[in-house]
Amino acid sequence: MAAWESYAGKGLLFTPGASVMHRANPLTSLIVTLWAISFAAILPVAGTALLTLAIIAFAFACGIGPTTLKRLAITMIPFGIALFLVHGVLVHAPDSVRYGPVSLSRGGFHDAAVLFFRLAAMLAASLLFVSTTHPSDMLKSLDARGVSPVVSYLIASPLLLLEPLSLRAKGIRDAQQARGMDLSGSWRARIGALPAMLIPLIALALSDLDHRVLILTGRAFRAHKRRTVLGAPPDDPGQMWFRRVLAVVAVAQLGVPLLWR
Amino acid sequence: MALIDCDDLVFRYPYAERPVLDGVSLAIGAGERIAVLGANGSGKTTLARFIAGLLPDVAMKAERGSVSMEGRPWPAWTIAERSAAVQFVGQVPAQQLSGCAFTVYDELAFGPCNLALPEADVRARVEEALTICNLRHLVERDPFTLSGGEQQRLSIGAALAMKPRVLVLDEPTSNLDPESRDAFIEQLAALPASLTVIVFEVALRPSMALASRFLLFDGGRIVADGGASDVLTDPRCIAALGETSVARAAGSVRAAGGWPAGTPLPLTVPEASDAFAEVRRALRR
Repeated sequence: MAAWESYAGKGLLFTPGASVMHRANPLTSLIVTLWAISFAAILPVAGTALLTLAIIAFAFACGIGPTTLKRLAITMIPFGIALFLVHGVLVHAPDSVRYGPVSLSRGGFHDAAVLFFRLAAMLAASLLFVSTTHPSDMLKSLDARGVSPVVSYLIASPLLLLEPLSLRAKGIRDAQQARGMDLSGSWRARIGALPAMLIPLIALALSDLDHRVLILTGRAFRAHKRRTVLGAPPDDPGQMWFRRVLAVVAVAQLGVPLLWR
Repeated sequence: MALIDCDDLVFRYPYAERPVLDGVSLAIGAGERIAVLGANGSGKTTLARFIAGLLPDVAMKAERGSVSMEGRPWPAWTIAERSAAVQFVGQVPAQQLSGCAFTVYDELAFGPCNLALPEADVRARVEEALTICNLRHLVERDPFTLSGGEQQRLSIGAALAMKPRVLVLDEPTSNLDPESRDAFIEQLAALPASLTVIVFEVALRPSMALASRFLLFDGGRIVADGGASDVLTDPRCIAALGETSVARAAGSVRAAGGWPAGTPLPLTVPEASDAFAEVRRALRR
């Protein structure tokens, strides 16, 4: 079984492939994503809509279009409906016009569209990144660049420990239900049951933390400033310069309009 | 000079009335295979952590005494030195994983990479651990999706990849089913002969498969120290941990008056084969 296949149940979104994003150094992919997010923050509504479409088209070119589009739709459709309802209908604005029992605001709809497409572009860029960059490769790139092992650990451990923690939560829920905890009743009963679920979960997580500190110390974690990196993703001067330029552009495109005002 | 020297160690948990370690003195030679036996809650894990250098730490210090390796007390060792000298594997397999590796291979390489060894050395260590711990078929698996027995093998493999001189195992078979336990016992037999192994156990079978020296730990002290026939037949050991099934059968024969005087009770099947032949001969006479 290939490494990525074992992550299918772990909530990782990575999909293997050979596209330009898959082949790029993970740090390059990260900077491209940050640039796209920065760009989405300053574009007008039509620009963010075009940017979103461009990212989706690029995702199709990278072989991850259907999954990216599906994940984007699942998140953005309910969010979009809520945005347009709140800004265009529920919030009363000076330009609100009454149509029977409801009042609609053109300005409110515009604000909702700005927010919607801005977030859609940012989410699409993030999905493109996490779908084409394996977390393990990202960590190896960080290690290869001499980033502190602590940073790598902070990125990796939530991804890896999420599933064991959720399995433990299910175990605690089953054990508490066997002892009479009622989760089928009213929302009050469910809220009342929360401490019985959360307290053992937190206590066990803290106990695990103690053990993990011992294990990490025993395996010489942070004994040296730099670790040996096995199979670091390839990097080259061209990508390094591209990253530097793009990072400057990402910061400048956010900062210059502020200074201009 | 002993490899590890535990000198009059006294340790008490905060707010505890009695010390959990009450004057433990122990000398462990290089290459020894030792089983420290004791009932649940007797303080074995605390002693194991002191021997492995995980204690004392900032919050928990010994009231008296210390543990040294090669004459240097543990606090004088750097993390890198200590992790290359001794490795500790605890009871719960999932808690022995680093939480920083996406594959079994990366988990095995995690420690050697932290030592900043050359890549070829890291790979050689990982290959050796894969072979000793029979993990080659799991190399691309996510460590958290392995079974308890596989995780236990992996945690021992990760410890061996550090090339320690001492391996401390705290109840390594407590979470294993019988099949996994048997496989684990076979794995212990395959460990390098130069490795000093100290196993803390409540179970007799894995202890007997591994150790040539047995210590009985009771009331915060080592109350018996010797070979299997000395310690496992000690009434305090029998009261705390029971007997092997062979010893129990022989004990029943003795209680019925059928055991020849002066013949020691067997502990293992090979010993029983000889002892019961002797009993048959005595009954014929």
